[in-house]
Amino acid sequence: MNKLPTMNRELSWLDYNARVLAEGLKPSTPLLEKLGFMRIFASNLDEFFMVRVAAVKAAAQNGQTNEEWAGMDPQTLLKAINQKVQAHYDMLYKHLHATVLPGLAGHGIQLISEKDWTSREWRYLERFFMENVYPLLTPLRLEPRVELRREQDYFPSTGSLQVHVAFRLEEDGSIAVVQVPKNLDRFIVLPQRLSIEPEPATSQPQENVLRLALLEDVILAFGSKLFAGLKVLHGIIFKVNRDADFSVDEDRDDDFLTAMEEVLAGRQNSTPVRMVYSGEDQILLGALMQSLSLEPLDVYHVEWLIDLGRAMELCDPEFYRVHGITPDPSLFFPPWKPARTFDEKGSIFDWIDEHDRFVNLPYESFDVVRRFVEESASDPSVLGIKITLYRTSGMNSPIVHALARAARSGKQVVVVLELKARFDEEKNISWAAELEQAGTIVTFGVARLKVHAKAALVIRRRQDGSIARYLHLSTGNYNEKTARSYVDFSLFTANPSLCTDIALFFNILTGYSSIQSLSLIAVSPFDLKERIIALIDREAAQSTPESPGSIIAKLNSLSDPDIIGALYRASAKGVQIKLNVRGVCTLIAGLPGVSETIEVRSVLGRNLEHGRMLYFRNGGSEELYLSSADWLNRNMKKRIELLFPVLDSEIKARCKDILSAYFSDNTHSYKLEQNGDWTNLSLTRRPEEPAICVQEKLFKMARKAVRNEEDRQEILQVRRSKGKFFEPGTIS
Amino acid sequence: MSDAQPQKSPQSKESIPSSSSSIQGLHAAIEIGSTGIRLIVAEIDSKGGLKIIDRASKQSRLGRDVFTMGSISRDGLRETIAILSSFSELLQGYGLQPSDIQVIGTSALREASNRDTFIDRINLQTGFHVRIVEDIEENHLMYLAVQKTLEDERSFLTRSNAMILEVGGGTTEVMLLKKGQMVSSHSLSIGTLRMDEQIRESARQPRQFIEMYLESNIKTACDVLAEDLPLDSVRTFVLIGSDARFAAYCLSGKNFSHYAVLDRAQFIEFADSVAGLSPEECMAQYHLSWNETESYAAGLTIERMFLEKTGADIIIVPNVSIREGILLAQVQGMDQKIEQELRRQVVASARSLAKRFRYDEAHAAHVKNLSLEIFDALKKEHGLGKHERMLLEVAAILHDIGTYLRTSGHHRHSEYIIANSEIFGLNREDINIVSNVARYHRKTPPLSTHVNYIALPREARIIVLKLAAILRVADALDRSHSGRVRELSFERTEDRFIIRPSQSLDFSLEKLSLAEKGDMFEDVFGLLPVLM
Repeated sequence: MNKLPTMNRELSWLDYNARVLAEGLKPSTPLLEKLGFMRIFASNLDEFFMVRVAAVKAAAQNGQTNEEWAGMDPQTLLKAINQKVQAHYDMLYKHLHATVLPGLAGHGIQLISEKDWTSREWRYLERFFMENVYPLLTPLRLEPRVELRREQDYFPSTGSLQVHVAFRLEEDGSIAVVQVPKNLDRFIVLPQRLSIEPEPATSQPQENVLRLALLEDVILAFGSKLFAGLKVLHGIIFKVNRDADFSVDEDRDDDFLTAMEEVLAGRQNSTPVRMVYSGEDQILLGALMQSLSLEPLDVYHVEWLIDLGRAMELCDPEFYRVHGITPDPSLFFPPWKPARTFDEKGSIFDWIDEHDRFVNLPYESFDVVRRFVEESASDPSVLGIKITLYRTSGMNSPIVHALARAARSGKQVVVVLELKARFDEEKNISWAAELEQAGTIVTFGVARLKVHAKAALVIRRRQDGSIARYLHLSTGNYNEKTARSYVDFSLFTANPSLCTDIALFFNILTGYSSIQSLSLIAVSPFDLKERIIALIDREAAQSTPESPGSIIAKLNSLSDPDIIGALYRASAKGVQIKLNVRGVCTLIAGLPGVSETIEVRSVLGRNLEHGRMLYFRNGGSEELYLSSADWLNRNMKKRIELLFPVLDSEIKARCKDILSAYFSDNTHSYKLEQNGDWTNLSLTRRPEEPAICVQEKLFKMARKAVRNEEDRQEILQVRRSKGKFFEPGTIS
Repeated sequence: MSDAQPQKSPQSKESIPSSSSSIQGLHAAIEIGSTGIRLIVAEIDSKGGLKIIDRASKQSRLGRDVFTMGSISRDGLRETIAILSSFSELLQGYGLQPSDIQVIGTSALREASNRDTFIDRINLQTGFHVRIVEDIEENHLMYLAVQKTLEDERSFLTRSNAMILEVGGGTTEVMLLKKGQMVSSHSLSIGTLRMDEQIRESARQPRQFIEMYLESNIKTACDVLAEDLPLDSVRTFVLIGSDARFAAYCLSGKNFSHYAVLDRAQFIEFADSVAGLSPEECMAQYHLSWNETESYAAGLTIERMFLEKTGADIIIVPNVSIREGILLAQVQGMDQKIEQELRRQVVASARSLAKRFRYDEAHAAHVKNLSLEIFDALKKEHGLGKHERMLLEVAAILHDIGTYLRTSGHHRHSEYIIANSEIFGLNREDINIVSNVARYHRKTPPLSTHVNYIALPREARIIVLKLAAILRVADALDRSHSGRVRELSFERTEDRFIIRPSQSLDFSLEKLSLAEKGDMFEDVFGLLPVLM
């Protein structure tokens, strides 16, 4: 339908994931942070297979195609995906075994496989297995003939993402499958005294050493005990990703919660998409593939540690402290303490009344957002609070607590709760009910649209009876955990027009109103995409060779064909376009005659790049916007997203600095080449060039912004004290 | 983009008039219209200014119900209650209770045969008290809103002749202004839904037929309007309503904040293009719902037809609705300018009506002046306010228009004409008072057999008595229709009200007349009017 030159979206995503991995492979990345990047890489892949590849496979079966695949047919695409993923895995596991694990061992963190268990550890684990693991296991044996019938109904459910161990029994070649129990720790801490062999008994156990065995290794090693009298020939460890890309029947609006719960249950048994395994037995592998209807392209072999994606604890310093060792600080990035933008003593409403406030998470503390909600909850003059919640940390969240408290104290609290945060639904459902019990008006978003916008509006009655409204808008969720590592931009304002717009926006979300026209903000799926295209087109229309237009955008993903088309049109008019896209980008940069003036970069670092910021030169009357929306078709059509302007000139200036910082980075940036490859700029940087890391720069900017604010306060106080307390003449 | 910076109001320190403190603050108004139920929440400041804080709007089927079946269906009632309940929840967030809110019903509700039970059900279930506004009152509220929005651009309405038009689901409100003076104000039975219903009966006629049908209706309406003001002299066309705002929004984009100015060709082209699209295309192109698509296309067509009857080359679309008017009506007392402006328009509208019936302009003006002089002199005795003064003014202008039909019994003809006319700014009750005052400007005082008088509420009857008593005296003083009695001064003794003109002429005729018509004055005020 269109001949727009674009890149395949799925492959572009894999390139993104490769960049995550590349950060993990960098020599400058501390060891446990390397593990962290690898973990994110692996967990990203799980999601990718469950959602995206599942869709490609479905398309391959139905003979469909997708315009985002840039003309590639699904079969070819599946092959390309397989090649890339396998190559990435090879790179990862090679580095893991050659560098990360030995390096960690050198720092006393010894993650060991069966072959490295000492004989005393072996015996300890055997007892551990019999006492703690064995009672929890439910081996399911497959009769050979059943297995040959390839009836999935007869194959035990292998869940999604759960690690399993499969055994081949000698007797009749039948197969048994055991699920690794979810409720046991995956990493078994081995007592230190066992680390030395009894024989040379002279040596002392090392201090500050943590030896860890894997639960699945233990099950594999002692699994034969499950099959008394039978001999186990071989075993492999595997996990399956299943199709998770199906949606709730939203016409059942009457009871959305129940519908959602049913889907969650169903996800465990949907079609398998791929299998990751570790082990050698080809017969066993073949049998499993057959039973799960998986093709060779769907099967990935890795060297040990197959469930890296869920090894969160290994990257958490707390885990080591609990087990009595203090990990060397050099294993982590040096801590960046968030700057405190707000002095806790004052009222946050006065603080916002002074002028609009910008908060750059995580360099500036999320406390101010928490404070905003908590003060709103406790301030008796607050009449109502309206907020969207998506991926909140549930009942442990101080924000949710504050909202419940506000509702109990008689304020009107309206929560637009998004249940469909991918894979987080279970968490959300449980505390939705608790909020409702507190008297909160909870709405579960809009049918068929995921509420992705992040906004909080507080309505307060001033002493003179007039109404004051305060607004917080952000590119990040109300989640104090992710606020520690996601780079987001957020804005506090009392601007009446913005507040009115957001009030209307909430009326739409809560069903009080049908869609109305809004003056400053744009909302997807209603007018956000049109607005962005109009802004791009306006830039193109104003652009002249003497005074070319300029667009700078920072996004997570870009693949919407209409927006890409608009960008190409603008490029043809000479508009200078700089895009910083963390993830998927199907736009092709630098194509002669198409996108010559477009430059695309991608920044990845210790913090997850999450904020979206847009700049338009607009013939000198510059406009700056923040947005919750990525430029994906999905976000423009099936998400409720917000685009809002930054109006305060000082904040605008800071945002511009932030944007330009993203293009000055030469340590964590990747540049998109015309052929679709990404050049790692940290490798091409000449030694004489100073190294610039944007995340560090932003961290410093945030500290400076806070200092500036403090300085300003100080000046104010000095003046005041002069006038008030030291009247001329009173000092003798 | 209106206010880019957080607002710091420099004028906040000024003293606030104590009388207005009850009005100042947060208010909300809900309009139950024929196509939708809409809410605004606004803050009224010490100067009577309106700051919109929140809005909500939901589609409604009331118009469809009423204009096809004559009454509101059970589903319509249920739907209305659901919407109002959700509005009530929204308003609680501002600490507002349903009983504090002005809720008005317009044409659909006005015409529904079951309107009383409907209003009662709503009151019981939601706590909202719905008031039905008369068609002519709708005009008044509309005008208030328009006037306020164009406050800083008064020249739009004053430098040339203007038409203000709103096409609703059931009625079309139209006002004509001659250099800023209201000369005509009508509520016509033309509406987007009503048309729909009439058309539906004629079984899916092609668009040309519908247009022809509309053309003929609009032509009839315009012929009536042209009696007040030649329509080709209309230069400014003010359009109100959601369809007009939709056009303004599409044609002027995000710059549409207080009002938009469109040009004639641009508007006609837009109206034609919307009407030319199939509903499906229209929904897709403009992100509209089905209901909006249907009513916008019809509304824009009707507006285009009116526009084409006038000589207007610019179209002004103020970004307001009747809901702002409801709130502004409360502010009226606070803003002297608005109030004077409104009085001026009411009087202008009355004059325009009188002119149509070829009244004796000089006599009417003189009687009016005399009446008002007496009214002002008797402030203590009658205890009436500005509003009643205005009713007296209107009655004085119109008291003799019945002579157009026949001199004999002309007071009764005057009553009939006024009772069946539309005067801008006056609601039904006001019109009833004015028609009765005119009725009793001569001959028999009210009797228990006078149905139109007896039908008035007690308070209104007392107002009629007081105003008619004054009018009779004033009319007697201009018995000769020559304006001889002028520059009065008044004196009050124990039982007499002495009227002294500045000149001393032979006033025997007037004295005679006063003796005849002063009876009511004496009854009402306990003072015998005497001309010296």
